[in-house]
Amino acid sequence: MNILGFRLSEMSIESMRFLVKNLVVFVAVALVSSAAWAASFSASLDRDTITLGEQATLSLKFEGVQPQDAPSLPRISGLAFQYVGPSSSFSFINGQTTSSVTYNYIVTAQHEGAFAIPGLRANVGGQSLASSPLKLVVTKVNAPPAADVANGREPAFLKLVVPKSKVYVGEPMVGQLELYLRDDVQGVNNFQLSSSPTEGFNVGQTSEQQGLRRRVQVGNRVYTVIPLALPLTAIRPGALTLGPFTAGVVVGLPSQNQGGDPFFSRFFNQTEQKQVALTTDSVKVESLELPEKNKPANFNGAVGNFTLSATAGPTTVTVGDPITVRVQISGHGALDMVTLPVQDAWRDFKTYPPTTKVEPGDQFGFQGTKTFEQIISPQNADVHELPALSFSFFNPDDGQYHTLTQPAVPLTVRTAGATPMPAFATAKSGAQENQAPQDILPLKVTLGTLSANRIPLVARPVFLAAQSLPVLAFLAAFIWRQRTDSLANNPRLRRRRAVAQLMTSGLDDLKKHAAANQPDEFFATLFHLLQEQLGERLDCPASAITENVVDEQALLRGAPPAMRDALREQFQLCNQARYAPVRGTSELNSVAAQFEKLVRELQELAA
Amino acid sequence: MKNWFSINPILALLTLCLAGNLFAADATADFSAANELYARGKFAEAATAYDKILQSGGQSPALWFNCGNAEFKAGHLGRAIAAYRQAGLLTPRDAELRANLTFVRNQVQGAPLRESRWHNWIGSLTLNEGALLAAVCFWAWFGLLTARQIQPALAPKLRGVTRFAVVLTVGSSAVLAVQAANHFTSSVAVVTAAEVTARSGPFDDAQSTFTVHDGAEMHVLDRHDAWVQVADATGKIGWLSSKQVAVLPGA
Repeated sequence: MNILGFRLSEMSIESMRFLVKNLVVFVAVALVSSAAWAASFSASLDRDTITLGEQATLSLKFEGVQPQDAPSLPRISGLAFQYVGPSSSFSFINGQTTSSVTYNYIVTAQHEGAFAIPGLRANVGGQSLASSPLKLVVTKVNAPPAADVANGREPAFLKLVVPKSKVYVGEPMVGQLELYLRDDVQGVNNFQLSSSPTEGFNVGQTSEQQGLRRRVQVGNRVYTVIPLALPLTAIRPGALTLGPFTAGVVVGLPSQNQGGDPFFSRFFNQTEQKQVALTTDSVKVESLELPEKNKPANFNGAVGNFTLSATAGPTTVTVGDPITVRVQISGHGALDMVTLPVQDAWRDFKTYPPTTKVEPGDQFGFQGTKTFEQIISPQNADVHELPALSFSFFNPDDGQYHTLTQPAVPLTVRTAGATPMPAFATAKSGAQENQAPQDILPLKVTLGTLSANRIPLVARPVFLAAQSLPVLAFLAAFIWRQRTDSLANNPRLRRRRAVAQLMTSGLDDLKKHAAANQPDEFFATLFHLLQEQLGERLDCPASAITENVVDEQALLRGAPPAMRDALREQFQLCNQARYAPVRGTSELNSVAAQFEKLVRELQELAA
Repeated sequence: MKNWFSINPILALLTLCLAGNLFAADATADFSAANELYARGKFAEAATAYDKILQSGGQSPALWFNCGNAEFKAGHLGRAIAAYRQAGLLTPRDAELRANLTFVRNQVQGAPLRESRWHNWIGSLTLNEGALLAAVCFWAWFGLLTARQIQPALAPKLRGVTRFAVVLTVGSSAVLAVQAANHFTSSVAVVTAAEVTARSGPFDDAQSTFTVHDGAEMHVLDRHDAWVQVADATGKIGWLSSKQVAVLPGA
């Protein structure tokens, strides 16, 4: 066993040496590899070709460094970048640690073509890093083959439906983008129009038409149709083309890899998210110019079918008084384009710009009532009526111009000076009593105080600093109060301060008495001061202090012998002075100096 | 030399006062001249004259008000609204100003921008008035606290008043905080061009989303270079070129 034991220990030592050698090599390799590993920056796209409407993901990866913020991307015409967020990873492989941060962006294209994303530069931690340029090809989306649509092979497709193939310029119509979703689609999101060519049309906001979803059979599959309203108004004549509209949508489809028992798959249904690029056919629309034939002179571009009503009041006025003319145009048409025609017959009136208010009857603004309120004032007393008001429009349904006319309103206009009560053409109502203002209120005559500083008070440092003053005043008062209260509750402290003050004035008195050679007053003061100072130190009445306290009191017994001798000498000098009072000024000054030194030592003596 | 150093600050102060008075005198003369242009029907020239005084650094409620009137008469609804809004920042309770602003807003095509009642209530104080009110309450509160330290005997009598001052300080500070947040973080854009197309992105070839007209007021959501992202009264969002709008503080 001994032999075996010796061999074992010998082997252990060899093993240990081997282990240490390897460990050293391993650490060295790890250090060298860590040092060799440097920061890097790369950019990549998850795919380099997409169809219009699809999205690609751009990833900016930083290895070994951690930028403060997501890098800003250059502006590339036709491409839009949407920052999604960062992801980070950390790995430890063969002793080598790597960490990386990846910033992800969704890339969408606004038109087809080849796009170059230039090499990006980033300054991180003092290092300038660069990535390689990238290329993204965006291809046109082709409408799915008719056979695929008819057979129900497309999970989703898009159709453009336009109600008319011929419209007049200015005539509004509501087209529809119909999104067809196959019956096995289990969810739809991120529907986004990527291209909507509508040149020659003014297009309103696209929105889903609520309550108009329907189900239709296409081939042997059932589809849900989601209609999206597309308000359109032709703005120029000629052959116009709508579309093709392209869009992208993400649909949820049953997973193809479920396998297993169909019974269980019903309960553990899994869906796959699939991005589908959608496109419609283009639709030709002929935009007709409004006919010149029979165009009324006061026609000002209103296209649709309208009715007109108007009121005016008051009808008995003085020259220059305001009359409010309220005109309501209701019906179907682009109400935004409807304006009140200039009334040439109102030449005897001064007119002010009308105010307008639209009460839409539908969500597109193609139906409703537009109300104009115009202030006019007669310029002379010869005016006897408000001339007939007329409004012309073109009705695209019958292709004819129509003119609506409101009859003239009789007026009584008096010259200035005659001021009868005004009368209204219609029944008096609260609304008429609170007539809308006719014009803006006049100028202000005085300039007022001119202020040069436009910075608000809250942003001015002086104002902000001034707010610290009450706080500082309060803090000062608080500290003062604490000290006052502390003094009031500590009679020894109070006495110490009073005696210190007494010593200051007493020493002055001593010097005065010495200078005046008044030994009686000098030693009386000296004795009094000695008593007060020792009384305060020994915490006993001053009148009880005699020379004996030097030997009796523990505090003074522990004092240095020189101090005790000096005290005794001071007491003895005071006593001797009663019997031999005649001393010179210099001697008194010397005594005063000794006393001053003694007082300082006593004050430093720990109580 | 000693006298010169002692006199110099006084001279400097006098020079500053004199310069201020001269500036005010010049501005008053320019203001009267602009008013005269307006009275003669030269509204565009009057607006330019008012704007020149504003460019020189001074401002007053009357100056902004008259500038708004001139811009309106010159047919610039957006600029008029912007000027009235600037006047409103200085005198939000001016009835004449509110009347004119309402009148001009009624001329604007499109849905008006609605502010909440609470926002209107907060907006009835200027930011400086709010700051002064909060400062007075704050000073009163700490003044009472200081008085209680100096005269502890007064503490029981002052307790109720101090609590009231605390409530006032907290309330006025909250109002000031909301005002400051509105002023410094939210903005309103007023369209100053006849018709502007809002786009889906901050670049010229981005898809158009909607059209707004002169005078339309919108909340500013974001800015990017020379573009402003706005939301109109109906919630539609788009980017407008900042050259076609006037961007003003929110309150």
